[in-house]
Amino acid sequence: MGKMTLEELRKLRETKKSEMIQRDSEGKSAQIIIGMGTCGIAAGVKDAFDAFLDELNSHGVQDTKITQTGCMGLCFSEPTVEVAVPGMPRVVYGNVDGAVARRIVREHIIGKALVSDHIFDKPAADIIK
Amino acid sequence: MHATICDLITDLVQNSIEAAATEITLRVEQSKAKLGIVIADNGKGMDAATLEKAKDPFWTDGLKHKHRKVGLGLPFLFQTAEATGGVARIVSEAGIGTTVTLDLDPAHVDLPAFGNFATTATALMGYGFDGNLVIERRAGGKGYAVARNELAEALGGLDDAGGMGLLKRFFEENEKEINQGSN
Repeated sequence: MGKMTLEELRKLRETKKSEMIQRDSEGKSAQIIIGMGTCGIAAGVKDAFDAFLDELNSHGVQDTKITQTGCMGLCFSEPTVEVAVPGMPRVVYGNVDGAVARRIVREHIIGKALVSDHIFDKPAADIIK
Repeated sequence: MHATICDLITDLVQNSIEAAATEITLRVEQSKAKLGIVIADNGKGMDAATLEKAKDPFWTDGLKHKHRKVGLGLPFLFQTAEATGGVARIVSEAGIGTTVTLDLDPAHVDLPAFGNFATTATALMGYGFDGNLVIERRAGGKGYAVARNELAEALGGLDDAGGMGLLKRFFEENEKEINQGSN
């Protein structure tokens, strides 16, 4: 098979979408905000990014929003990731490597339980206005 | 310096996004003799004095983090070039935009690993901003080019796990195709 074209990408998306509409009954979707500042990048946040994508897709969770932001002011605990699941408190996780990212998907996004040993509360005071 | 060339690329493209660019071009060309990277944007640009200061790791414009005194993005760029016999250039004009060029020797022993371009491209395309990013990629005489606008249209958005998973597959397959037989 040659390289994938935009047309093939569009078709795959349509197929996946029709599968998703059947499954998506909960309404609001979860959000994962990944800190991709210089500090996050240097701490290996790409491993977490890859792990989030892989774990979500392997569990068929397609509606979770994945967004990226700069430094959250917690450079000492990079990679940092903020997770918002409807009906649960927003939390910032620190030291999120690939394995922790997979745990966040399984335990927090799917299992609706916080991954307590990686919680870093909220962004640093000088970042929150 | 960053652990991989792809990490450095991510950092530099984010500079363009943060400079409020609406058109960004990232070109990454690999051959046996050269690894060439160009990041061109139409963002807010810098005057000569600001650009000179931005090369100092202990200088930042102070807008993002009020009390901080470090800015490591451009210092990492020049450090990578200087440590590996490469050349880094920045041409910038206030109000017009910035072009960063990095030419590296792929055979230099101190050159960081290239890294995973498919992940890098997926993350950059998924970075939420109001603009277009064109990625032009060449390796071993083959190549592909794709624009963020086209991908957003094909996927109906670039921020959910399903779409991002497909996006990564798109880049992985294109990377595989151009890297076949070139290494």
